[in-house]
Amino acid sequence: MLDRMRRPRPDEGMTIRVLTVVQDIDTDLRHGLGGRGAPSAARRLRRLLAAQAVVLAGLDGTVAVAGPDPDPDELAALLAQTYENGTPAHRPPWSAVPLIVAGELSGALAVREGAEAELAAVGTLVSRSLDHAALRRARGRIAQAELRTLRAQISPHFLHNALSVIGARIRTDPARARTLLNDFADYLRYSFSAQGDYATVADELQAIQTYLELQRARFDDRMELSVRMAPEILPVAIPFLVIQPIVENAVRHGLEPKPGPGSISVSGFGEGPLCVIEIEDDGVGMEPEFAQAILAGSGGRAVVSPDTGRASVGLANVDQRLRTVYGPEYGLVIETARGGGTKVVIRVPRFMRGVVAN
Amino acid sequence: MTALLAIGLLFAASMAIGVYGVRATRSTTPDFLVASRRVSPGWNAMAIAGEYVSAASVLGLAGLMLKNGIGTLWYAVGFTAGYVAVAALVAGPMRRSGAYTVPDFADYRLGSERIRKLCAVIVLVIMWLYLVPQFKGAGVVLHLVSGTPYWVGVVLAGAVVTASIAAGGMRSATYVQGFHYVVKLLFIAVPAVFLVAHAGDGARTEALRMDVSDWSRPLLDLESSGQPLLATWSVLLATTLGAVGLPHVIMRFHTSASAWMARRVAVGVIVLLGVFYLFPAVYGLLGRVFTPELVDGGDTDTVTVVLPGEIVPGTWGSVLTAVVAAGAFAAFLSTSSGLLMALAGGLSHDLTRPSVPRLRLAVAAGALVAVLLSLPAQRVDINVAVGWAFAVAASTFCPLLVLGIWWRGLTPAGAAAGLAAGVCAATGSALASVLTDPGPGWLVVLLAQPAAWTVPLAFAVMIGVSLLGRPPEWAERAVLRLHSPNA
Repeated sequence: MLDRMRRPRPDEGMTIRVLTVVQDIDTDLRHGLGGRGAPSAARRLRRLLAAQAVVLAGLDGTVAVAGPDPDPDELAALLAQTYENGTPAHRPPWSAVPLIVAGELSGALAVREGAEAELAAVGTLVSRSLDHAALRRARGRIAQAELRTLRAQISPHFLHNALSVIGARIRTDPARARTLLNDFADYLRYSFSAQGDYATVADELQAIQTYLELQRARFDDRMELSVRMAPEILPVAIPFLVIQPIVENAVRHGLEPKPGPGSISVSGFGEGPLCVIEIEDDGVGMEPEFAQAILAGSGGRAVVSPDTGRASVGLANVDQRLRTVYGPEYGLVIETARGGGTKVVIRVPRFMRGVVAN
Repeated sequence: MTALLAIGLLFAASMAIGVYGVRATRSTTPDFLVASRRVSPGWNAMAIAGEYVSAASVLGLAGLMLKNGIGTLWYAVGFTAGYVAVAALVAGPMRRSGAYTVPDFADYRLGSERIRKLCAVIVLVIMWLYLVPQFKGAGVVLHLVSGTPYWVGVVLAGAVVTASIAAGGMRSATYVQGFHYVVKLLFIAVPAVFLVAHAGDGARTEALRMDVSDWSRPLLDLESSGQPLLATWSVLLATTLGAVGLPHVIMRFHTSASAWMARRVAVGVIVLLGVFYLFPAVYGLLGRVFTPELVDGGDTDTVTVVLPGEIVPGTWGSVLTAVVAAGAFAAFLSTSSGLLMALAGGLSHDLTRPSVPRLRLAVAAGALVAVLLSLPAQRVDINVAVGWAFAVAASTFCPLLVLGIWWRGLTPAGAAAGLAAGVCAATGSALASVLTDPGPGWLVVLLAQPAAWTVPLAFAVMIGVSLLGRPPEWAERAVLRLHSPNA
């Protein structure tokens, strides 16, 4: 017991220093081996391992060197040996470990005059950081792909309804049919437009306008629609197609199942540095637990509504994309109760680095 | 009493517009977007002018003119000419950047979280320097029209403006501010015309008699330094370049639909301000004839409100006083709510994590600090204090915006060094001029209105430190975007 108490504790400051360095290396490798942080990571590794030189190499060649430049032939031979066997290699004074990312060989870490035991451990660490970087990129790609799906996912249901409503009015009310057809064309163009990830609030509203006009015609105008927008926020850039899926959701899951007239209101205003957009309907509403499940299921998984049997992939996707762009505190807020309508609130900063409408 | 009633009515009207303005403008008509696509540049310009014409313009300008002479009108020249610089240098690019506040712009252009925070701190400094004279103006006006002590007026004004923001002033500001411009213009202009008509021939000739010595000298002398040319240049530099960097003004260009519109708006503001500033001059000239005693004994900032009672006796006099007081209160209300919103935005968004309750809290906290700072500030001339706010803006954000927009070589380190140098030099001088009195000479001018040396200093530091380092490689793209015509 006494003996255990007397055992020297590892120096606390040292532990913290090492952990900080490890974190910094992870941050440096955020963009992968080819990213901007690679040279800085190599320098940190050199200090961590107290080595003469550190080389980070990708499969197509050296990406970063810290310390005196190595002899190219010597290094090439070392790397070749590492890649060949996929195991640590030594050619004194050099030693190298392969970097295995997601089960695939993707590079090597070589040091000159460094401790070997540490090298193996650090190699695993770097591999893991690279793995994280790859995952992060994949997550971004998934969000992109989902957006593309969402754009292409104008429901066949809606297409059919819109066309048949227009068709039904061609003889009885040709003027209205003509307007509707124009709306339909505008709507298609906006939904399919491939440029950019962001649009202004004004553009988004235009898309909703055309969408709702078509829906109103279908509902024989028993759907009230009101929009109140503070002009200040019209030029604000927001992610493409975030309001429209919410409105579509309100129509399909809130108003369609409801007998009698319904109304939907979209309002927006500035709140200091924030821009707030509220979409409210007086439809059938839903169980709060179900709303929670939709948001918790963020990640693109479809949640099937118990009432309508339809998937509401839209809300989850919007929530996910808002969080990816603006950070976790800017997700959707849903206020709802069965029979009490639904109100969805989007609250985002007016300016965010990188968010610019095309 | 009449005056209090007028102020109450004005307050109720602006609250009504604030709460129902958004509602009234857009309805259920299918074509709502055709109308709402754009706020017309005219409305936008009116909103900016409404927010910009503060107690400094309505009360302070005439007051300082009475005290320091006709040269004070250089302030008005600078306040207006600032928008020439805004239109030419920053309005369009600022709109293209998509940035809402100056910290946003710093983030866009330099990509540094630390500079963002530094900018937010400078926003606080400028906004507080600017708020103090507004609250002083409100305290003085309320004291004059109702006899309450100065501090009651200041506290009341703080409470009123905080309440109005909390009750929905945060939402649609464009129409409220536009309305306030009209109120201010009418409530200052109509009595002015009336007073000129009533003053009588003798007084009119007396007011327009110019001898180019002392009071009617066309240059502005600060603190009787004997260096009028330097003082005039310094004031002009501060007010012209300060307008470029005022955080709550920059925000308004975000509302324009495009960069081209933003520039149109800035040009509109020049016209509106030019019209407005004709009238404080009338009050200053007439005040010289009718209320010269204010210079020795009283507070010259009150001249605009006192004058109608002096010229027109009886009921009409008190009605005119009420109108002018309401105009002054409108100036206080619109400017300070704009300032407080910008301040609260910086406090809650840039310095901490954002949320709505915190925004309200930040408004209340900002107002409280401003009230506390205003209580001992009764003797400070409104226009002088506003001049300091402009000087700080001119020596910090003006170089940041101008260099950030027009020079790709600006580095984060250079910007940080220049901002720090500018804010320290400008606020330090203003403080020193309150605390010390170096006697006549150029030094007193350089302390009382430091822009003449702090602006070049900030530019020099920013450029010098930037030249030592290398700008990040994406800087070129960031600058290019600010100038590309199709964005």
